[in-house]
Amino acid sequence: MNTLDRAPIGRGIARTGLILSVLFGLIAVGAGYWQVVRASELSRAADNPLVIAAARDVVRGTIVDRSGAILASNRYDANGEPYRVYADRSLAPLIGYASPVYGTAGLERADNAELTGLGSNNSLEDLLYKLAPQRRQGADLTLSLSLKLQEAAVKALGAYRGAVVMLDPRTGRVLAMASTPVFDASAIANPITAQAAFARTSAAAGQPFLNRATMGRYVPGSVFKIVTSIAALGSGAINASTSYPQQPAAEQTGLLVSGFRIHDGHHDFTGSQVLDYDQAIEVSCNIYFALTGLRTGGAALADWADRLGFGAPIPFDLPTATSQVTNGGGSFGGGFSDDVELANAAYGQAETLVTPLQMALVAASVANGGVLMKPELVTGISGPAGNQTIGPAALGTVMTPAVAGTIGNAMELAVESDWGRIFTTGAAIPGILTAGKTGTAEIGGSAEPNSWFIGYAPADNPEVAIAVIVEQGGHGSAQAAPIAGSLMSLWLKTLNP
Amino acid sequence: MTASAGTRTRPAVAAIRPRARRRESGLLIIVALVLLLGSVSLGATQRELAGQKVTWLPADAGQLVVYLTALFGAHLALVLAGRRSDQVLLPTIGLLAGISLLLMERLPQSLVTQSLAGRTFGLASIQLGWLLLALAVITIVALAVRSDAWLRRYKYTWAAAGISLLLLTFLFGNEVNGALLTIQIGPLSGQPTELIKVILVIFLAGYLSEFRPLLVEASMRLGPLQLPPLPYLLPMLAMWAMALGIVVIQRDLGAALLFFAVFLALVYIATARASYVVVGLILFAAGSVVAYQLFGTVRDRVDIWINPFADASGKGYQVVQSLYAFARGGIIGTGLGAGLPLVGGRLPIPAIHTDFPFAALGEELGLIGVVAILGLYLIVIERGLRVAASAADDFRSLLAAGLTLVVGVQAFIIAAGNLKLIPLTGVTLPFISYGGSSLLANGVVIGLLLALSDRGVEPPPPAPAGRRRFAFLRGSRQEAG
Repeated sequence: MNTLDRAPIGRGIARTGLILSVLFGLIAVGAGYWQVVRASELSRAADNPLVIAAARDVVRGTIVDRSGAILASNRYDANGEPYRVYADRSLAPLIGYASPVYGTAGLERADNAELTGLGSNNSLEDLLYKLAPQRRQGADLTLSLSLKLQEAAVKALGAYRGAVVMLDPRTGRVLAMASTPVFDASAIANPITAQAAFARTSAAAGQPFLNRATMGRYVPGSVFKIVTSIAALGSGAINASTSYPQQPAAEQTGLLVSGFRIHDGHHDFTGSQVLDYDQAIEVSCNIYFALTGLRTGGAALADWADRLGFGAPIPFDLPTATSQVTNGGGSFGGGFSDDVELANAAYGQAETLVTPLQMALVAASVANGGVLMKPELVTGISGPAGNQTIGPAALGTVMTPAVAGTIGNAMELAVESDWGRIFTTGAAIPGILTAGKTGTAEIGGSAEPNSWFIGYAPADNPEVAIAVIVEQGGHGSAQAAPIAGSLMSLWLKTLNP
Repeated sequence: MTASAGTRTRPAVAAIRPRARRRESGLLIIVALVLLLGSVSLGATQRELAGQKVTWLPADAGQLVVYLTALFGAHLALVLAGRRSDQVLLPTIGLLAGISLLLMERLPQSLVTQSLAGRTFGLASIQLGWLLLALAVITIVALAVRSDAWLRRYKYTWAAAGISLLLLTFLFGNEVNGALLTIQIGPLSGQPTELIKVILVIFLAGYLSEFRPLLVEASMRLGPLQLPPLPYLLPMLAMWAMALGIVVIQRDLGAALLFFAVFLALVYIATARASYVVVGLILFAAGSVVAYQLFGTVRDRVDIWINPFADASGKGYQVVQSLYAFARGGIIGTGLGAGLPLVGGRLPIPAIHTDFPFAALGEELGLIGVVAILGLYLIVIERGLRVAASAADDFRSLLAAGLTLVVGVQAFIIAAGNLKLIPLTGVTLPFISYGGSSLLANGVVIGLLLALSDRGVEPPPPAPAGRRRFAFLRGSRQEAG
């Protein structure tokens, strides 16, 4: 024995044992996290081998639209093996495909677990299944989509690339979500034609596989002025009667912001008139909104945009790209690098990028009195486990009803007033009050600008909100606005009177 | 194994008289019943999946019988030798290794094949062979080690042997998953780090027990920290450098982490000084940052750890698939043989038998099984530390504690890695992972713990009088005198 007594070594051993016990306890907690808390979510991931394996020997559930029209169903080949067929090519970028060769895409991928009968989302049921496994049966999905409206939207976009998102602002339910060009998903799902069809679609111009409505990120142009309006009016930076004395003069030479000149195109028409908020929306005055953006500040603009869903993927049935007001990282507030970027972003140029779904939500939140509803495509799941109805659910209150009313009033004038008809839109629907805002997004070079429209109708009791982007369609009033008008008219007058 | 230096006469050994080990017998019967139940369950599942008639027969009765016979054989040897050693370790290890056998029977046998004498053996057969060897090692070490003189006397020789093995790996090692892990000798390949970890503990126990008084009492101040004088700090830095060297040269992060953690824990046990641990952790943090900056392997591991889902089909694939496996298992598991859905005829995790057996068991035995397995490791830790705490002197205390830590910390590193609690590193799950080196090295560990726990083992030599400063510079000559 050395001179030290043995006590310290015993204490060290006891403490080491205690630390190891705690560490092993942490492993148990970690296992509990993955095996209980996250179990259901991970077990339904599209790349989970369980889901992939189940997809092979389960007959997938059918997908129907809001009126029960079949969108996706199964046929059987000579060997009795099921394969997928789709009602219309207009559905392809949205619903995607389920192919024995190429896996799944679109909603077929996102809801693969449900369609293959794994999506009980009920841990007790999963537990019982493990005790007594039985052949799984795929669940059927009911969508809020209208097949006829979807077909009309793709037809309206015609040969242009672009996207249309239409939803019910009161519930967030998607009525149409079109993306062009489309492709033949049935041919990819059919084992005989799969290879040729997949190769053809992959090589086709315009990336048909891309769902532009959720994944396309576009410069918004003037439709972003609605976002700026929400931030400026919501934060109290301006009110409906705010005007800027320097605005008419600045229109002649361009508004000088730190050496950068912001131009405008309506001076010949409005002359030296000092515009208020409504008029600025009607004639889509860049200078008015550049000044408003500077007055609101970058931090407030980014903050209010985030409330609308910017800065993070929108919670939706399908993956969504993130919309941004700026690249971020700048020190000017809200991530803007300087006042030039902020002023340009305020009227929708600069580094601002948006998805069509995001802009439809902007219009819907104004239409719904400031309450932003969670966008939803799948409204019902019915399978062996019973029927489940989904939503509607609110994402939050973005602005007060008063602010929404002010902006809605200006958007209504932009479509219906004399000035509005000249400067912004051809979206008016005969007999129904319509509200909206066009955008003409410069994309650089000599290319035609992208043509935007967002809006809703009827203006006094909104039932449908819309966002339309027509790539290189020219002015907003040239392409997007008439498409929006005709589709809202079709929905309100014919399909859902 | 009989390398007693013979400088002291052994106490007269009483005639060997068998002594019942009732507790061990009882526990082993429970272990056998549990394994039988597991094998029956696996057999039923396998037959059902193969479309055969479901019967009550075990999955592979022959392998189970052979394994249990060997396990009871080890028990019998301890009984016949009349050993009064720990009676819980063997059954606990027996259950862990039995679970390993069931898991290997359940996995595709083609994962590992070996031809021997004209016959081809698959995964479970080979693992069974290693398990039998490991049980033999446990028994032999437990029975043969009656004196620790050969361990404590030649600590620098042990250190040299360990470093040589490390260098050999560096010079002749084969690369596995970007790390130099194995040495090939003829048809056999082994992972030297498994052996090095045992050697390291022997050296540390010898070093720390000798210099413990100095390490505890002498000190110099560095800011708020009480540190030992520089000469005593050097081995610590050397150890740190060695761990870093393993990372740099072998790119074996798991071994480096294991060595360094065991080292720190032993220093703490020997000195009861938190300041050493603090210094060690600072060194660890600094080393980690540097390694992260310099080495792609380290960066990859950390990035995967932070978000494996970012590259779920590429670099993060194994970790994501591991988490999927745990998730599929849920609370009660799918049952042995019913999990691990195949992708294109292959297992979702390629290295499941070596690096991810914990995930496989998490799926098939569920959270309940995971907690049970963690409990088994905690029992091993508790028994080992109990041996350490009741050992006759510092060397044995530190040796027993170090050996226990080697098993416990290694189990923690890989289990936590499988669950994404820490970055994944490729160490084996003791007694469960496939592989001979790991099983044999851990067999030595358990054998030594059994030997150290034996109340009949030779008492330690009297501590040399007086304190010798810088004695380490003169090696172990004083002891030899």
